[in-house]
Amino acid sequence: MKKPDFTLILLLLPLALVTALVLAACGAVLLQSLGHVPAFGLAGLTLGYYRDVFHDPDFLGALAVSLSIALKSAILAAALGTALCAALVARRKTGGPMVYLVRFPILAPHAVAALFAILLLSQTGLLARLACALGLISDFPQFPQLLYTPGYEGAILAYLWKEIPFVAYFSLALMSSVSATLGEAAQNLGASPLRAFFTVTLPLSLPAISKAFLIIFIFAFGGYELPMLLGATLPKALPVQAHLTYMSPELRDRPYAMAMYGTILILSAAMARLYALLTRRLMKKLGGTV
Amino acid sequence: MRRSIVPRLILALTAACIVIPAALLAVWSFTARWPWPNLLPERYTPRTVSELLFGSAKLSRLLGSSIALAAAVAVLGTAIAVLTARAEALYRFRGKELIRLGSWLPLLIPGTVFAIGFHMVLLRLGLADTVAGVLLVHLVAALPYCITIMADVTRAVGFGLEEQAAVLGTGPFRAFFYAALPSLLPGVLSSMSMAFTLSYSQYFTTLIVGGGRVKTLALVLVPYIQGGDRALASVYAAAFTGSALAVFGIFEWIIYKVQRGGT
Repeated sequence: MKKPDFTLILLLLPLALVTALVLAACGAVLLQSLGHVPAFGLAGLTLGYYRDVFHDPDFLGALAVSLSIALKSAILAAALGTALCAALVARRKTGGPMVYLVRFPILAPHAVAALFAILLLSQTGLLARLACALGLISDFPQFPQLLYTPGYEGAILAYLWKEIPFVAYFSLALMSSVSATLGEAAQNLGASPLRAFFTVTLPLSLPAISKAFLIIFIFAFGGYELPMLLGATLPKALPVQAHLTYMSPELRDRPYAMAMYGTILILSAAMARLYALLTRRLMKKLGGTV
Repeated sequence: MRRSIVPRLILALTAACIVIPAALLAVWSFTARWPWPNLLPERYTPRTVSELLFGSAKLSRLLGSSIALAAAVAVLGTAIAVLTARAEALYRFRGKELIRLGSWLPLLIPGTVFAIGFHMVLLRLGLADTVAGVLLVHLVAALPYCITIMADVTRAVGFGLEEQAAVLGTGPFRAFFYAALPSLLPGVLSSMSMAFTLSYSQYFTTLIVGGGRVKTLALVLVPYIQGGDRALASVYAAAFTGSALAVFGIFEWIIYKVQRGGT
């Protein structure tokens, strides 16, 4: 490998500029969340806005809703996505039409996923009509309400529709190579296919799966479209509540909105840090490297 | 496991969960009346399609601007990714971990937060509510994926051919364009395709950074879904998905051709 020279600086300059912009963006949010908004005549730094929002029941409800959406969709997507990935590997479908099909929900935007949820899962949606045709229900109010509920089932299901394929596609390369080498070896030595999967292939595929988990958690925690389109009026998801406060005509609300965005930012960073610590410990235990 | 029926069932269920909504979207796009509890619509109409083509939203202009924006993001994002991947694979330097962290950063920060912060920064730079600003924020969203793809490809291809060309007296730029780029091409194309679809489907970042002045297809789609007219929402979603898939298909076809021609 070469030693650093002038060309290296040129090669890294664009990424450095973009990274500087991203850090500046985060800094701007945090600064305003501490009450420094000179344009609105607010100066000085205080944690008071954070203290205030953490005493606001609407905010606490929104925080709880967003954490629950993120946890449920990330855990379920990781588990079911791993199962889908294992099925693709087991059926040797690591390329071709099936993989193209699996990539479709990853490419589809969240708004389209929301529309699918409405067309399929609403009380007059296709599933309700099927249930009625099969005689399971006699009229649409009997179909369980999944959309616009305080539990955000609709948003979680729409996230799962997108993120299960994401986990599977993200882990496919690693899992199929592990399975073809060490997984096969374990089977040749007499392990049953299921045992070879759970003791060899799955642990060695964990780096990809856990990284996908982190990406999904942070995305669902800070995601706006799905809870906005499929969520309840109360409690709102945190990014929806923050945007509402941001759009408030009352300019003095601005630092409160920023404190909400700041909370999203800080908790996401904490989650990423936790992930880094956990994977390092896990890798040490397994004796491997990431 | 290969003989078991479980993997088959999982794949069949997955396929159904993907194909059925897509088919439903197509049916809803032409639906005039679909009373409860019928399993199929009662009447079909071309109204939605004519609204899509000739209605207030001006599909052709929206398509043109959205595709141009996404194409610019694809080219710029991939160019930056090629440079970053080269630096990472070719040089030994301190702070390499920082580069990796920097390229991952946009995935670790929720898009909602950096869209808001980005808008404030761009206000200072005089780029808020402009196409250039939206292009920048889409670029940030796409870069982690572009860099991951290009880093893998660059490491796999290596620098052997380029070094040979240099030994034979070729300048560094010619060596890169003639010796390295052809082998990097499949990676370049899949990075561009990834960046294109990411930019094409951005909603919140476009809304905030564009300030409502920059209109893309993804942006006008959301109010139709909120509006509750399922047929109209479906026809817009179908136009959106169809155009994205068409561009994606073209990229995949070129990659296929390049790979077959190359080996």
